[in-house]
Parts: sequence; structure tokens; C-alpha cells
Amino acid sequence: MKKLVFAALMFALVLALAVPASTIQAQDRTRVDVWIAFQDYRLDWTNEKAAEFNEMFPQYEVVITGGFSYEAVFAQVAVAAEQNQLPAVVQFFEAGTQDARDSGLFKPIADALAGRTEINGLPVDLEDFVAPVIAYYTLDGKFTSMPWNTSSSIMFSNMNFLRAAGIETPPATWGEIDAACEKIMALDNAPEYCWTFPNHGWFFEQWLAQQNALYVNNDNGRSARATEVAFNSEAGLAILKWLDDQYNKGYLYYSGAQGGDSWVTVDQSYQTQQVAMAVYSSSDTTLYTQMGLDNGFETVASFYPYNDETGWTGNLIGGATLWLVDGLDPEVEEGALTFLVYLTNTENAADWHKLTGYIAIRESANRLLEEEGWFDENPNQTVAARQLSESTVTPATSGALVGGFPAIRNVVTAAIDRVLLTDDDPAAVLEQAAADANLIIEEYNLLNAP
Amino acid sequence: MIVSPQLLILGAAVIGAGVLGSVFRRAGGRTPVGMALGAAGGALGSLLFMAPLDYCTFEAERETLDVIFGMLLVVAGMALVLAPASWISERLIRRQSLISESQITTGTFKHWWLAFPLLLPTLTILVLFLYYPSVETLRLSTKLSRLGARREVSVCMDNFTRLVHDAEYLDIVGRTLWISAVIVVLSMALSLLIATMAYLPVRGASIYRVLLVWPYAISPAVAGIIFLLMFNPAGGIINHLTGQWFGVKLGWLNDPKVAPWTVILASVWKSMGFNILFYIAGLQNVPKDLIEAGAIDGAGVLRRFWHIVWPMLSPTTFFLIVTNLTYAFFETYATIDYLTPGGGPLKSTTTMMYQVVQLGIRNNDMGKAAAQSIVLFLLVIGLTLLLFRSGERRVTYGV
Repeated sequence: MKKLVFAALMFALVLALAVPASTIQAQDRTRVDVWIAFQDYRLDWTNEKAAEFNEMFPQYEVVITGGFSYEAVFAQVAVAAEQNQLPAVVQFFEAGTQDARDSGLFKPIADALAGRTEINGLPVDLEDFVAPVIAYYTLDGKFTSMPWNTSSSIMFSNMNFLRAAGIETPPATWGEIDAACEKIMALDNAPEYCWTFPNHGWFFEQWLAQQNALYVNNDNGRSARATEVAFNSEAGLAILKWLDDQYNKGYLYYSGAQGGDSWVTVDQSYQTQQVAMAVYSSSDTTLYTQMGLDNGFETVASFYPYNDETGWTGNLIGGATLWLVDGLDPEVEEGALTFLVYLTNTENAADWHKLTGYIAIRESANRLLEEEGWFDENPNQTVAARQLSESTVTPATSGALVGGFPAIRNVVTAAIDRVLLTDDDPAAVLEQAAADANLIIEEYNLLNAP
Repeated sequence: MIVSPQLLILGAAVIGAGVLGSVFRRAGGRTPVGMALGAAGGALGSLLFMAPLDYCTFEAERETLDVIFGMLLVVAGMALVLAPASWISERLIRRQSLISESQITTGTFKHWWLAFPLLLPTLTILVLFLYYPSVETLRLSTKLSRLGARREVSVCMDNFTRLVHDAEYLDIVGRTLWISAVIVVLSMALSLLIATMAYLPVRGASIYRVLLVWPYAISPAVAGIIFLLMFNPAGGIINHLTGQWFGVKLGWLNDPKVAPWTVILASVWKSMGFNILFYIAGLQNVPKDLIEAGAIDGAGVLRRFWHIVWPMLSPTTFFLIVTNLTYAFFETYATIDYLTPGGGPLKSTTTMMYQVVQLGIRNNDMGKAAAQSIVLFLLVIGLTLLLFRSGERRVTYGV
């Protein structure tokens, strides 16, 4: 009996090894693998869209794989590239742009489309995308990656606290935040802290851009390859000093989490009303508005607060785009392109915006939402788009292109961490951070520059 | 070049000849043969690291530190060849078996080659998952390397030498040592206490024992999440309770002074199940008659414990120290990552293992990460050897 079981098991094992998985499923459809960096309701939405697409185009089978975070997917792609296991489409965050560009792994969308105005019967209109998005992702004069989720940094205020302190509109500047916090913290039922922020490099970059200051040299890496950071300026120092001041006064709550891990800590402290205000990405406008409704307070979104002394030039976009892998089979590439066009069509762009709070990336989607009366009903949802359209486009507000950006961000968040938690001189900390970041850029360019 | 490669090889050959020559003479073999073998071995040994490195540590523009590292590598390479060579030749000359005498060999294979196919599965796995990655790590540690990059650049021993001056790295080493030491001591002391109590003849003892071992079955990541929920500053139960009872809310995760202790607490809790299991088993092996004899002679509970139970448990304790140290050095990674992702405020929970992953995965800096992982490896090897040297003498394996 035992022998029989053993023989059966061995047989099953041999069978499993001998019959490749691919032959088990029907293989008349072209498989298009898409890796994205979400695993929450945003992944569900994308899966829904992929299912719709697969029904519309039975010749393709789009398979979405969700990842833990932008940073994790970024690392995963580097490994996959080494092993020739890349999917057809990869979602990269804005900080990965230069690395993606240098890697030579991707094909510009414009090249793949080659001037076609429709693909598989779907109309293609790249000019319909909103201006800041086109500006960020047009590299070397070419539309490079497909915009999908674009956001800006904004501020959410718990109006229960603000109104109780006699403040009707959320503070717009650093000085106004300070004044508002003084009143809010003097309340009888004051929150534990006045405000918080995710210690993610992107927020430092936003404050820098607002002051029209560069992050890296060579016009933020847009006129030539960036070789040094430029954030160790008056503007950069002003940010550190201000954060330090807010922290020392007990206004600013810092969760200790850095980078991609910091988002959730801000969600928690805003939701539990530990803080009255939170600066955050507009990506979660829908969620933050709902958090207020669920917990009995009103959330009002407003522009990202700026330095009173230097004024406001504009804000950056953030988020991610979808990159098409180079060297795919022609059918796979065609399927991937068709899916990208489908995913970002007018209806889907509008739907995606409603679900999340990422801006509607198409002018036509914005018109559609306007006609539906969506913006009138949901004023919070207009903030990010307005902030971006009112921004003056300069090299500073176009965002930095620099290699090794994710590692540089880790250096910047570590510097903020140090400034907040120690008595070290912000100027010295900033200089050290700049030196560390310069080493990263130098080593990156040594290894990656073509 | 500060030192010419030819001179180095010659020096290594002379030293090798001396070492193996004297070994042969002492063992009663032919000295010239030993000297010849030693010269070849010494020369080869000196090439072991230097040939792949192309003698880069001795280039003219290198610093003294590089030269010192280079010399150490030459010596290490020689030792790696000469030590086994002299051990084997001594045994061969004295016609002793190459297998240690303490192992009694009761049977032999009919065909000598039969051992190899039987070893093949193990060897395959070892080569694929241990030896090859180790060699690759050694190679990477001398490079500036990024995944997905166009090229790799050799940087000689820079990835190591820069660590000597890196105050932040030395901080991390110190932190790793004290956090690991606290985890081991605390976890083992508490486990012994609980095991002693769980060993008492009480009703339903087996139920208690099962429940006590439970945390061991949980993965480190899950332990991290459980503690994250409890110690969460916003809405965590611990701060809610301490706030209500004592009016204090500690920054369990965001205060650089407190955060390492939260990690220690979670790690101790996680590893206690394993320790308790072994201590209960150890206690069952303590002969009852010895304890009874002690009791009849009038020894109190504490005295019986200290003079009978504790020495009888020493093999278990020694084994647990080694395994717990490995746990504290390597396996706390996931706990740290869930509790204080990014390595904590002011890097207060960043251990050496954590730093390796941060550098390699988060910053895609494979070369520096490889170098640091080698440092960690050597440190743990060193500590374990030290433990075996100093600990084994105090371990009693029998009555």
C-alpha cells in the first residue's frame, strides 16, 4: 500500500514537472502582464478595468499584479530586469523617472504609437492630457510614459477644531499655520497635536518648489544630467528650521516613520483626531473626506501651505505613470498599448478621479465631471487640480530628474528626522545630507550614465 | 605599487615552507617534502584573495588602511590554505584517521563512491543557496554595483575601509550588540522562570505549556504587526491604558530612546516560546533522585536550583545562547520592519542586519550592502567561536 502511494506521488510530481503550466490553460490569447504598486481599492479598480478590457478584446488577456509600494515595485523591477522577467507594463513613481530613462528598458509611448490616432479602434489623443502632466513626462521632446495617477500635495483640515478656535478658512501659509495652532492648542478639548505630515521626501520637494528653489543642479536635471543636489540652499534650510520650530512648540506630530511607510501613520492620526490638520497627497482626497464624515467632522481640503517670506510659485505633480517595456513581441506591445489607452480614456480618467482624488488627467474628463456637477458637490476634489493649474511652470516647479532619487529621498527624510529629534544645527544637518546625496548621484552617474 | 606582488608571493612561500616544514618534522615526516608543499600552499594562499583583487590594495595612491587590509587578506588566504594542509598532513604522517576520533564509526559503505550520490541532494542545495551566494557576496563587496545598472566599477576594499571611519556605522554596530545582548539575556531569564513554573505539578500543566510555546509558532512579521497594533501611538491599547491609569503616553515607536525597547519587548516575547520549550525539556532531564537527595540533605528550593538544576541545565542554556544570538542578530529584521519601518527615529532600531537590507534593497547599493553583510557574518562567527571557547568548559554534559 505504502509503495503504491509513493509511486502515485512520484507520478504526480513527474507530471507536474513535465507539463508546463502554460499548456494547461487555453493559450490562444496574448497575455499582457501589468505591474502596479497598489494593493488596496485601487488594485480592485484596476482589476475591474482589466476584466472589462479583456471582455472587449478577447484576443488579449491583461493580468494585473499589485505591489506593496512604489519603492518596492521599483526594486522588484530592477531584479526582474536582471533576470529577463519583465512584464509588459510597469508603474513607476515620479522619482523613478530618471532611473527608468537611463535603464534603456522602456520604449517611449510616442514611439510605440508612431503617430497613430487610433489603436484597435480606440481613439488616441495625447494632447488631451492636462498641461503639468505633459510637461513632467515629456522627455527629450517625446511623450515617454502613460500618465495615470497624478496628484499634488495639499492640506486636510478637521473643521471642528478650526471652527472651535474661530478659524473659518484653513491656514494658507507657514505663519498662518503657526497662528492657527496657537489658537487650536489653547482649546479646552484641544487635539494632542496641531498638525502632522508624512516624512516622505516628496513634501520637502514641494516646499522647495513653492519657493522656486531647485532640488538638483542643471535646472533640476532638465537641461542636462544632474550632477549635484541644490537643496542645501536658504530655501531648504528654511523648511528644516520651520519644521523644527513647529516640532519644538509641540504643534507638529512626527510618527517616526519615513518614506513610503509614513503615509499610514498620518492616516491614523488624522482619523483618530489626534491632529487638527494634516498635509498629505491629494491622492486620498476621497478617503480623507470620508474619514471626516465617518467620524463626525468636516474635512476641508486646501492648498499646500507655503513660506510667507518667499511667496508661492507653484507646486509639483507627484504620483506615477505606466511605462511600456521595450523589446516585447509586437502583439504583446499592441495589447499593452491598447490597454494603456483604454485605462486612461475620458470615462476611466473621470471614474479614477472620483474613486481616489488623483486629478482627472484629461481635459475632457474634467469637462465631463464639470457637466455632471461633481466639482460643485465635492469642492475638496478641485483643490489639487486648481493648485496645479495656478502654478507657474519653472524648472523648480517642474520637478527634479535625478538618478538614485529614491535613495536621495531617504537621505532627506533622515535629515528631517535628525533635525526634529535632536538639537543638532539644521544647517549642518542639511550640509551633511547634501554631501551624502551628492555621493549617491556621483556613484549613480558613474554606473548608469550612457 | 608599494609592495610588489612577486615579493609578496615569495614571502608567502617562505612562510608556508617554514610552517609546513616544521609540522612535517614534528610529526616525523620528511622535512623537505613539507617545505615544498608549504611553499606551494603559502604562495597559492596569498593569491586566494589577491589574484581576484589584482593587488589593488598595494597601488601607490592607496592609503595605509588599504595596505593593512591587503596584508590581512594575504594572511587570511594563507591561513585558509595552510591550516587544513598542516592538519591533514600531520594526521596522514601519523597514520591517523581523518575522521574525528570522538565519532565512532560503526559501519562503512561497501563502495566508497556510494557516499557521493547520497550527498548529492544536500550538496546541490548548499552550492546553489549557500556557497554560490557567498562567493557572489564576496565579489560584490569589492564593487560599486546597482541592480539594473549599465556597468559595475571595482572599488577595491573601499566598501570596507570607509566603514572604519563611518561614525554612523560604528553606532549601528554598538546598537546591534547591546540590543542583541538584552534580547538574549531577557528572553532566556524570563523563559527559565516561566519554564520552572510551568514544570510545577499543577492541574492542566500541559495546557499552559502549549499556550506558552504558542508565540514561537507566529512569524516575526506577525509579531511585529501585533505589537504595532498594541503600541500604536494613535489608538493603540497600551497608550490608551497608560494614559488612563498614569496619565503618561510614551512614544513607543517614535521616541528614539523608547523605540529600541519596544523592538526588544516584541522580540523577547516572540522568542520565549522556543526557549521555554527547551527549558521544559531540559528540566525533565534533571534526575528526580538528585533533587530529592538534596531536599533530604536540607537544601532549600533556591539552593537546590542553583546547585543541581542550573548546572544540569547548562547544555540547554549553552545551546539556547547560541541560537538566541543568531535570532537576535538576523531574525529580528521583520519585527523591526513592521514596528519601526525604515529603522526607527534617529535609526534607533537599525541593527546591522536591518542596515544591510536598507542599503541593498531600498537604496539599491549592492556593493556596500555586501560588504556590510560580510562584516556581520564575521562578527557572528567570531562571537560564536568565542562562546564555544569560553562556554564549553562550563557546560556539564553528565552527572
